[in-house]
Amino acid sequence: MTWVLAATENVGAAAGHAAGAGEPFDAGKTIIEHVANDPSNPIIRLPEVFGIDFSITKHVFMLWVVALVVFVAITWIVRRHQRAGNVPTRAGVGLEMVVTYIRDSIVLPNVGAKWVRTWAPLVLTLFFFIFTANLIGLLPVFDLLKLANHYLIHADMHHSVFGRLLEGGTTATANFNVTVGLALITFFAIIIAGSKANGFINHWKNIVPHGLPWPIYIILVPIEIMGMLVKPFALTMRLAANMTGGHIAILALLSLIFLLAEMAKNALVGIAVGLVVATPLAVGISGLELIVVLVQAYVFTLLTAVFIGLVIHVHH
Amino acid sequence: MDNPLVQPDPGLAIWTIVTFLVLLWLLAKFAWRPLLRALDARQDAIRKSLEDAEAARKAAEDANKDSAQILQEARAEAEGIVSASRAEAERLRDEIRQHARSEAEGIVKDARAQIDLETSRALRQIRGEIADLSVGIAEKLIRRNCSQEANRDLIEETLKQIEATAPRPN
Repeated sequence: MTWVLAATENVGAAAGHAAGAGEPFDAGKTIIEHVANDPSNPIIRLPEVFGIDFSITKHVFMLWVVALVVFVAITWIVRRHQRAGNVPTRAGVGLEMVVTYIRDSIVLPNVGAKWVRTWAPLVLTLFFFIFTANLIGLLPVFDLLKLANHYLIHADMHHSVFGRLLEGGTTATANFNVTVGLALITFFAIIIAGSKANGFINHWKNIVPHGLPWPIYIILVPIEIMGMLVKPFALTMRLAANMTGGHIAILALLSLIFLLAEMAKNALVGIAVGLVVATPLAVGISGLELIVVLVQAYVFTLLTAVFIGLVIHVHH
Repeated sequence: MDNPLVQPDPGLAIWTIVTFLVLLWLLAKFAWRPLLRALDARQDAIRKSLEDAEAARKAAEDANKDSAQILQEARAEAEGIVSASRAEAERLRDEIRQHARSEAEGIVKDARAQIDLETSRALRQIRGEIADLSVGIAEKLIRRNCSQEANRDLIEETLKQIEATAPRPN
């Protein structure tokens, strides 16, 4: 859906170019505008604290939308579930299936029966939060609103809150600052899990295997500390890159329409390319994105459970 | 660092952590704990009802087995009673028969003794009467032909002879 709306919107822009605005179509700039956050133009500007800009940017706003959607949807189902007297309702069965799968197939085998109750809420929240953030990024809500703005509302894109709301990417998890935040949650969860299970001092001792000749530790300690940092780094990059990659691929394919139209100086060429090449390929990649959305949420969740399990049950 | 895709934005990262932790707390409180507790409760309820059903089945089986055993015992007992009473009856019959036989024998013996007694008494009476008769007859005869003394001796002798030859009553 995104591509269609992006396409229609850009047709307008392209028409503007064709009308002789003189500015050639810049695919890279357009794509980045559709994917990236723009901290320089936040929705609500807040003062800096200790040199950190806490302004409410598009992606902060999207995080809140995601959190709200997840919280309302899940508590609503759970409430109905409870009111039904612990007999599963239709919506409840779906949620239950996912929750029991995550608890019994992701959390339980990794952290063990003793710690399931402690870590299941974190892993469940991670999964639903990341999955919803990924999925909302696929919905062209803001593209629709932008279209409506362009033709009906005419709010200023830079000087009104509504206009600034429409700018920038909608997939918060495609921003590596967001995934850094999530990976830090995992990073600290690992330390807390190890400390709770084995004691704070023992957790740090467990980072390296015991009872090796001392020269080996000279190599091993830095390696293990690196490993400790690489885990959240890998989580950060995997999620952000996967969520960005799909969007860029779709946008790049759709950019072909305008690039070729410009090259041929004929809008019909663009429409033909759009119908024959760009749209079918973009549809295919969007289908793929649906899988990636689920798989990346699953991978992040699973790896968090695995990392937590590793420090609870130390095997050296 | 011109590319907006890799622009560091620590504010956003902190917002992410804050948002996530708030969501985690809210969901844990209002969704995960109630839901997981409900799941556990249902699991326990199902396990319990299965166990109850199994226990009920076992109880029914035991009751069945018990009733079969009771039936068996009752049958054995009845058989015992029947055979015991049969033996008792047999014994009683034998006893009665024995008793009757000995009683009959006693009666017969008594009767025989009575008969003997009567016989001997009758014999004695008869003998006395015969003696009187004989004496009377002999008197009449002797009165005609011989003295009374001689006759008496004769009679005595005769009677002695009779007595010796006569069969003795028991």
